[in-house]
Amino acid sequence: MIDLIGFAISWLTLFGIYAILSLTLNLESGTAGITNFGKVVFYGVGAYVAATITTYMTLILNGVDVGETPPYDVRGIVLLGELGSRNPLLNVGLLVLSVVVAFAAAGALGYILSYPIIRVGPAFVGFTLLSFGELLRVFLQHYEPVGGNKGLMAIPTPFGWVADSRLREVAYLGLVMGMLAVTYIVTYRLVNSPLGRTLRAVRDDEIAALCLGKHVPRIKATTLFIGSGFAGVAGVLLAYYLTSVNPNMFVPAVTFNVWAMIILGGFGNLKGSLIGAAVVTFVDRALTFVTPQLGVTLISPDYLRWVIVGLLIVVVLMVSPRGILPEEPIKTPALDIVSDELGGESK
Amino acid sequence: MSSVLEVEGVAKYFGGVRALDGVSLKVPEKGLVGLIGPNGSGKTTLFNVVTGFYVPDKGEILFRESRDLVRIDGLNPNEVFRRGIVRTFQIPRLFNSLTVLENLLVTPLGQRGESPARALFRSSWSKQEMELARKAVELLKMFGMLHYAHSKVSELSVAHIKMLETIRGLMTPAKLYLLDEPAAGVDYSMARKLFTYVKRLRDELGLTFFIIEHRLEILMEFVDYVYVLHNGKLLSEGKPQEVVSDPKVVEAYIGA
Repeated sequence: MIDLIGFAISWLTLFGIYAILSLTLNLESGTAGITNFGKVVFYGVGAYVAATITTYMTLILNGVDVGETPPYDVRGIVLLGELGSRNPLLNVGLLVLSVVVAFAAAGALGYILSYPIIRVGPAFVGFTLLSFGELLRVFLQHYEPVGGNKGLMAIPTPFGWVADSRLREVAYLGLVMGMLAVTYIVTYRLVNSPLGRTLRAVRDDEIAALCLGKHVPRIKATTLFIGSGFAGVAGVLLAYYLTSVNPNMFVPAVTFNVWAMIILGGFGNLKGSLIGAAVVTFVDRALTFVTPQLGVTLISPDYLRWVIVGLLIVVVLMVSPRGILPEEPIKTPALDIVSDELGGESK
Repeated sequence: MSSVLEVEGVAKYFGGVRALDGVSLKVPEKGLVGLIGPNGSGKTTLFNVVTGFYVPDKGEILFRESRDLVRIDGLNPNEVFRRGIVRTFQIPRLFNSLTVLENLLVTPLGQRGESPARALFRSSWSKQEMELARKAVELLKMFGMLHYAHSKVSELSVAHIKMLETIRGLMTPAKLYLLDEPAAGVDYSMARKLFTYVKRLRDELGLTFFIIEHRLEILMEFVDYVYVLHNGKLLSEGKPQEVVSDPKVVEAYIGA
C-alpha cells in the first residue's frame, strides 16, 4: 500500500523548501530582472553552513575532540547519531544559529558576487553566478573539513529529540511552513511597495531608471542579498531534512528546476511561484514514490522528471504565455486615491 | 537674468566625427529655450553630455546650485538627476510594464518605501505614498490624462507616451527640464496643447525648459530664445523671429 500521509508530508516539506527558492528567485529575476543562474550557490552555502555548524558544535559541546574524531569520520558519524537526540535545547539552538549565519553568509555572498558585475550586463551576472556555483562545488569536493566528496552525514536535526518519527516529520513540516510563511510575507511586502515599483522600473529600462537617479547596481545587489539570504535559509532546511549534505546535491540543474517553477507559475507573480513549486515538487515526489511500486525499473524517475517538467512548461506556455498567473499591478495606498478621483469624476 | 545652465566650449568626438565642436551656450533661469538644427547636428549629443551619458572631450558644463555655478561634467546620469536636471528622450523611455500612475510614482527620489527595511512596514511609507499619489493625480488632471491612470504604457498612443514622459519629469522638484523632441509623432493640436502646458508651468512654477524640436512652427510660437546647431557648432542664436530670418539658418535647413 502506498503510504499517503507519508507522501503528503514529504511532498509538502520539499514544496516548502523549494517555494522559498522560487519566491525569492521570482523577486530577483521576475520583478527585478536579474538573471540569477546561480540560485543553487546560496542554497548550497546555507546547507553547508547548517551542516558544518551543527555537526561540529554538537561534537564540541559534548566534549568530543574534533581534531581526533571529526564529524566526517566513521566514528564521528556514529557519535553524532548518539548525541543528536539527547539535548532539545542544543538542537533548537543550533537551528537558530544556523539560520542566522546562513542568511548572513549567503546574503553577503550574493551582494559581493553581483555588485561588480551588474554594471556589465544581465547575461554576465547570470554566467558569473552559474560558474561560481560550479567552482564552489568542485572546491567542496576536495575540501576535507566538510567531508570532501562524501560530504557530512548524520546531521542532528532540530527535532531529533522527538521519539515518534511521524510526529518528528510533522513538527519539521511545521517549521518549514513557518519559514515559507515568513518568506512569502517578506517578498509580498517588498513587491507591493515603492521598492517593488522601482525594481520593476529597473527591469523595464535600466537606463531610464538611472536617469531618474536610481542607483541601479546597489538596488540589484541589495535584492540579491535578500533573495540569497532566504535561499540560504532554504538550504538550512534541506540539510536538516535530509540529515546529510554532499557537493553533488548542488548542481546547476537545481537552479534551473527553480527557474522552471517560476516560468510555470508566472514571471513576477508570487502566488504563481507557489503553484509552480507545488507542481514541480509534486511531480518529483510522485515519481519517486510511484515508480518503484509499479515495478518500473527501466526508466529512472530522475529522467522522467525532466521530461514531464519540460512538457508541462511547453503546454502551459502554449495556453497562457505568461505562465499560470500573470503579473499583477503593485498594490499600494496610491491605488485608493486614484480610484476615489476616478469615481468622483464620473459622478 | 542669471543662467541656470552654462555650456562652455564643449566638444565631443566619436572617432573622426566631431559631434560637438566647441559649443558654448547659456540657458537663463525661468527660460523657455529652444535648440534646433538639421539631423545629425549634435542636439541630442549635447543633451547626452549635459545629463552625464557622455563625458565631454573638451569644455565645461556648469549648473546653478543655490547661488553658485558648479561643474557637472563627468558626473553619472543619476548624480546629474539628483542635482535637479531631468530629461526626456527622443524615443521615449518609459517603463512599459508599469501603469501610467506607477510611472509617475516611481520617479521621485528619497522615497521611504524604497529602502528594503522600510518597505516591509507599510505604515512607514504610506503617508508619503499618498502625498505622491495626490501630486500625480493633480498632474494627470492638468494634462487631461487621469482616466489613463491604470493603463499600461504599452497601451497608450504615441502622443500620450510623449506627454507622460514630460509629466514624469514634473513629479520631481527639478530645476531644469531637457525635453528631446516632445512633439515628434504627436498631432498638431496635441503638440500645441503640450507646449501650452509647458509654458504654463514655466510661468506659474518658474521652471526652466530647454527643448529640442523639429516642429519649428510650434516651437517658435512658444520659446523666448533659440540656439541653432549645425555640424556640431553653434550656427546662430537669438529671438525666434531673428533666427528664422537668419540666412545661415535657412541655408542649413534647406541646403544649398
